[in-house]
Amino acid sequence: MGEVEAAPVRESPRIEAPLLEARGLHKSYWLGEKEIHVLRGASFALGPGEMASLVGPSGVGKSTFLHVVGTLDPPTAGQVLYDGQDAFAMGEEPLARFRNRNIGFVFQFHYLLPEFTALENTAMPALIGRMPRPEAEQVARQMLETVGLSHRVEHKPGELSGGEQQRVALARALVLKPRLLLADEPTGNLDEATGEGIHQLLVDLNQRLGIAAIVVTHNPRLAERMPRRLRLQEGLVIEA
Amino acid sequence: MKRFVWRAAGVALWLQVSAFAGQLALRHILSSKSLLSPDALLFVSFGAEAVAFLLIGFLVSFLAGGFARRELLVSAGILAVIAFAVLHRMKPPSFSYDKFFADTRELVIWSGLTGVGALLLGLWGASFGVLLGAAETPDLRFAFEAGIARTHLRLNRRTAAMLVGLGLVPPGLLFAAGVFARAYDETVRSRALGAAAPTSLSSVRGDAAAVILSAAAVVAALFLAGRWLQARAQLAHLQPGQRRKRPATVVMTAISIAGVSVGVWALTVVLSVMSGFEADLKKKILGTNAHALLLKYSSDFSEWKSVMPKVVSVPGVAGASPFILNEVILSQGQTPTGAELKGIDPETAGSVNELPRQVIAGELSWISDPTQIPVRETAKPRDKARLLGDDQYLQDTFERKEAHPDELAKGIPPETLQKMPGICVGKEMSHALRAWVGDVIQVITPLGDMGPTGPIPRSKSFRVACILYSGMYEYDSKFAYIGIPEAQKFFRMGESITGLELKFKDVDAARAEGRRVVAALGGFPYRAKDWAELNRNLFSALKLEKLAMAIILTFIVLVACFNILSTLIMLVLEKTKEISILKSMGARDSSVMKIFVLEGLVIGAIGTAMGLLLGLASCSFIERFGLQLDPDVYYISNLPVNVDSGQFVMVAFIAVALSYLATLYPATKASRLSPVDGLRED
Repeated sequence: MGEVEAAPVRESPRIEAPLLEARGLHKSYWLGEKEIHVLRGASFALGPGEMASLVGPSGVGKSTFLHVVGTLDPPTAGQVLYDGQDAFAMGEEPLARFRNRNIGFVFQFHYLLPEFTALENTAMPALIGRMPRPEAEQVARQMLETVGLSHRVEHKPGELSGGEQQRVALARALVLKPRLLLADEPTGNLDEATGEGIHQLLVDLNQRLGIAAIVVTHNPRLAERMPRRLRLQEGLVIEA
Repeated sequence: MKRFVWRAAGVALWLQVSAFAGQLALRHILSSKSLLSPDALLFVSFGAEAVAFLLIGFLVSFLAGGFARRELLVSAGILAVIAFAVLHRMKPPSFSYDKFFADTRELVIWSGLTGVGALLLGLWGASFGVLLGAAETPDLRFAFEAGIARTHLRLNRRTAAMLVGLGLVPPGLLFAAGVFARAYDETVRSRALGAAAPTSLSSVRGDAAAVILSAAAVVAALFLAGRWLQARAQLAHLQPGQRRKRPATVVMTAISIAGVSVGVWALTVVLSVMSGFEADLKKKILGTNAHALLLKYSSDFSEWKSVMPKVVSVPGVAGASPFILNEVILSQGQTPTGAELKGIDPETAGSVNELPRQVIAGELSWISDPTQIPVRETAKPRDKARLLGDDQYLQDTFERKEAHPDELAKGIPPETLQKMPGICVGKEMSHALRAWVGDVIQVITPLGDMGPTGPIPRSKSFRVACILYSGMYEYDSKFAYIGIPEAQKFFRMGESITGLELKFKDVDAARAEGRRVVAALGGFPYRAKDWAELNRNLFSALKLEKLAMAIILTFIVLVACFNILSTLIMLVLEKTKEISILKSMGARDSSVMKIFVLEGLVIGAIGTAMGLLLGLASCSFIERFGLQLDPDVYYISNLPVNVDSGQFVMVAFIAVALSYLATLYPATKASRLSPVDGLRED
């Protein structure tokens, strides 16, 4: 992390300043002796409340891109700026807190904790953020209601259907009202109708809560519906 | 790689050197200004140093923002060098008995140990710092971490109930076995003694709480066994798919808990038995010896009659009695034996030792009033003697004497016999001399009159007034007691005595109380020697043995902690994905570390609690059941136990501390996992 210098604090916030800006992201892995370049200088910006789809063939690095942009994985070179500030210049703890407050993740697999109920799973980010338990459960209950699962609150993930599980995952990602939602093929594992429902929900929530979102998808029809469409190609982000 | 924080290393070094200097100063001050025993002195000073090193590590972890490994390594290395230089100049006394001053090799060892101790304890302290979020802002809360840890260990209400059941029932059964064995034993014994044979029920009734407890344990055990059978039966009916799968880590967790509890169990039982031996020895030594001796730097202690009241009036003194001690030869017929002949005052002897209560035949008071010693009939051994386990000799001797009453007199007229002074001997000596109450024995002292060819030994006839049994072979085979006036006459001491035996209200403060008595008498030429000083070899050997056992058995706990370590590593591997999810939701590194540390601590704590209960129950079983020992070898009929709560707390502390240490590696590994490590897999 040390080699990237902290960006100077912005003097005056511009109107419609990008929430997220990626500058020349490079990311490579070593597979034995071979270096694999996944990202080769990807750059793009996303405004507050903006929603974009990201498409690209399998293995092109969509997930890696999301992880880097979502501050989970530092890039080999380049910067990820939130409100003009370099995210990876922060220490471990401020970055964790920033992630807790500002970014919600939804993955292809729901990744819910199997021993906890839907409510507890949804409340987890709030509990991690040290919100008192009753309060955390209250916001979690509200969010579950928003995603239409108020009747499944006390069920464990194993007792829910695939679509319901993904809704709980969505509720968990949004429970602290983050500014950015990163969804990695949230419907990839669901049948068409259920996937459609989840997508509709994503769009609704984007409009209702004003949460910016990047949704990775394989489904061109769903991608079409997004206000902005991005494509990852040869390690670069291209507006489609 | 993190930056090396010079400031942290500097502060660590400065504090560590201060801690080392503090330890030296503390030891110096305590040894000159307090009455602590040498062992307590070492414990206090080195304990304080260790705590200081721990705190320094904690502090430095905040300064360095992490474990501060390199900073602590550098400072500990420099500390070791400084310690060597200081010790080399100071020339401290050696810990070995062969030399007075420590040599260079010993100093190298000591300064090396100081450095290693500073490093390890510092890292230990630093781990607390890291757990509390030393890297950034401290965070003492661990609510959600505890929730996650609970699910990893499957600690729901059902398993908790099962753990409580498994933890309580085996010790309960052991306890019940002890209670019933005792009841059975008492019934058999009272039947043997010919008393109105009570049923085992009535002998149990005295200990109502124990009976209720053991009955509850039996019921709980039956209930548990029933539930287990029921569950087995249900399981047999289930289809393979319906059975709940149990991950390997749950089984490993159970094994880890069992490992810790077995280690703690062994440690507590062995330590309790060892301190049982120690307490038994102490009791026997203090039964025959007083708590302290008041002596004089002069052979003339004839003013003792005026000193006695002064001594007794010192607060804390419970009793005082004069004594004379000399070595003599005793003989009966052709059998001689060496002995310590002690002149005592039968009136006051009981206030300083247990002699009057050690009599198993005859009377102690007969030594000052020998006319009471029976001439014709044979003295019967007291009933108490039959409970000693090894009563065959007494019974045989008594019957033999009974069969040959004329053997006693040996043709000496009864009037002469009655004028002979009385002497009390120990049971083993009575055995060796074949002398029973009323028998005549010769006391020979080499300090006789000067004759033409040198000193001529002097001898005098005494009649055996009583037989004593202290339970210490050395005392029962070496000591003989006569009255003070007889001893003064025999040894030609005039009015003088050897010293005063003292008894204090608080045995453990004997040394301090002794000094107080000497001070009350004006100091020189009087001096006091306490019982620990008089029996130092015995007790230090026992203590060393106990320490060695404790260290060896701690290794069992250590091995059990390696179980915890491997269980946690398995758990970390199993939960990699979960750790990544938590981190993607904004969980801090220290939170992830807390999860696994908590798990290890819970495993350690449950295992420790179970082990302590088992240990307690085993001690109670040994005590009630009375495991037989060969009295000829140990001179003690049952395996002694002494449950010392301080020892149990110590064992618990060691076990939990070791399990904490075992968590550090897996917990640190888990916390360093990158959020994408678990997400990338599928």
